[in-house]
Amino acid sequence: MEKKKMLTILSELCLLACTVVCWLPVYYFVISAFRLRKDIVKYPLKVIWERFTLENFSYVWKNMKLAQSLFNTGFITIMTLVLLIAVSSMAGFALSRIKGRFFRAYYSANVALMVVPFISCLLSLVILSTKIRLYNTLWGCIFIHTAWHLPFCTFLYAGFMGALPMELEEAAYIDGCSTFQVYFQIFLPLLAPITATCCIRSGITIWNDYLLSSTLLNSARKPTLMVGINSFFGEYVSEYGYAFAGIILASLPISVLFIFLQKYFIKGLTAGAVKG
Amino acid sequence: MKEHLSKHKLTWGQKKQLTGVLFLLPLSAFLAVFIVYPLASVIFYSFFDWNGMSQMNFVGADNYRLLPSTEGFWDMAKATVIYAAGVTGLVVLCGFLVALALDKRGKWRINRTVLRFFWFFPCLLSGAIVGIIWRIMFNYNGGLVNFLLNQMGIKSVNWLETYGVTMAAVVIASVWGQIGMCAIIFLAGLQNIPTDMLEAADLDGASELQKKAMIVIPLMAPSITINVITTSIAAFKAYELPYTVSKGLPGYSTRILTQRIYFYSFNTNKYGIASAMSVLLVVVITLISLLQLFVLKKREDIY
Repeated sequence: MEKKKMLTILSELCLLACTVVCWLPVYYFVISAFRLRKDIVKYPLKVIWERFTLENFSYVWKNMKLAQSLFNTGFITIMTLVLLIAVSSMAGFALSRIKGRFFRAYYSANVALMVVPFISCLLSLVILSTKIRLYNTLWGCIFIHTAWHLPFCTFLYAGFMGALPMELEEAAYIDGCSTFQVYFQIFLPLLAPITATCCIRSGITIWNDYLLSSTLLNSARKPTLMVGINSFFGEYVSEYGYAFAGIILASLPISVLFIFLQKYFIKGLTAGAVKG
Repeated sequence: MKEHLSKHKLTWGQKKQLTGVLFLLPLSAFLAVFIVYPLASVIFYSFFDWNGMSQMNFVGADNYRLLPSTEGFWDMAKATVIYAAGVTGLVVLCGFLVALALDKRGKWRINRTVLRFFWFFPCLLSGAIVGIIWRIMFNYNGGLVNFLLNQMGIKSVNWLETYGVTMAAVVIASVWGQIGMCAIIFLAGLQNIPTDMLEAADLDGASELQKKAMIVIPLMAPSITINVITTSIAAFKAYELPYTVSKGLPGYSTRILTQRIYFYSFNTNKYGIASAMSVLLVVVITLISLLQLFVLKKREDIY
């Protein structure tokens, strides 16, 4: 028994060491955000409380147009989620609760669209959005994000609603409900868990998006957080402190949410890959 | 009016179908305008030579025929395959090991919820942010990686400007950003393994290693397939992270397919070539996805 205990402790120490190595970059950028460049280079891992400074943060806040980019990113994320949930929950209901060859075929087509890589269509999306006057507008970003997250969210909603028992709507239909009423009064209230999953999953991706917003939006006038940080970092390549402070400010909202909602986050981000 | 309606009165079933179609209208509009149409036009553009301003000259399959002779094409192909293979292999291997370690609970062990939090956290960061962090850490002068190497008595490595080494740096950064997700998916699979199987093996006197090889790995085969496929698709699609780490330098050694697509689309405006490359990416990813469908279908028959 004694041997087994030693072995357990040894393997745990091993795991702990790996975890520490994995978190070294996080530790490094968090403490470096509070230090000046010369300290970052000289003592990368040491915390010196006397040299602690908030200068990086105040500089970044002033010069990165952080308030503006925070608003843009937040607006894009929230509006996309609202559209996304409304459209995909309705479509998921139709695809999972109404029988017919048309709906089965549509479902397969929807799944096939999940595969298309976004960057392949980026060029024609830019050309298209110039034509329909969505280029360089936040709504352009919102519509494109919505469309590209729709197939997967619809897939999740259809899967969730498909697993609910048939009796649920049968009773309502017998009582004379229309399909609209069945959706709004019977199904909508039950969708909270899968809606949370969709919001978390798509919300994080949209918040973190760089590719679309850097291409579609004018980065000087309408920056989003990730674009702002990247162009800021491009200007001050050697000022590590600024970059790290910007990174912390930009990922703080999601990190804080993650600390409180860890379970939902993990469930949301792995949805689709894990059955059940 | 009433008479008119009653003449064309729909049956209850037809009404339900019609409502279903109505429910699909918003989705159809979004998909048609922002996915299907752009995809079709990319395929269309790939048969033309134009730069967005000029006339569109139909050139047939020339863009495809000339793809291999575009500058740095074979470097790109090599980089893309090495990147995808390296990231997929390392992420799945490390993810599996981490998941095995995190799966054990009991006395003398660290709280698993806390550990899971630590491993999963990097997955929440944007690819663009992970790229910046690692670019700074790999810096020749004053980067953390070289500092640690020096502490261990190893000479500094020029991570971002050495052929071959830079690819390793890019792969390391990408792996760091993805291990957590992969581990969590494995963990869910591990927790679905029926405990009585392992207990039976215990009674038969199987060692830890035997149990892993004979029970855990075969039962985890579906999870392994899913992780290999999703990670490799993500690797072929990755743009921000590899780009922010290395900017495709040195030379063409880390310019993967997505970076070339972006370059031809928005830096040189060679829309024909860019579209042909985009179609190439679509084909690659479709093939991998079909493989997934095929393998998973087959697996379901076995179990």
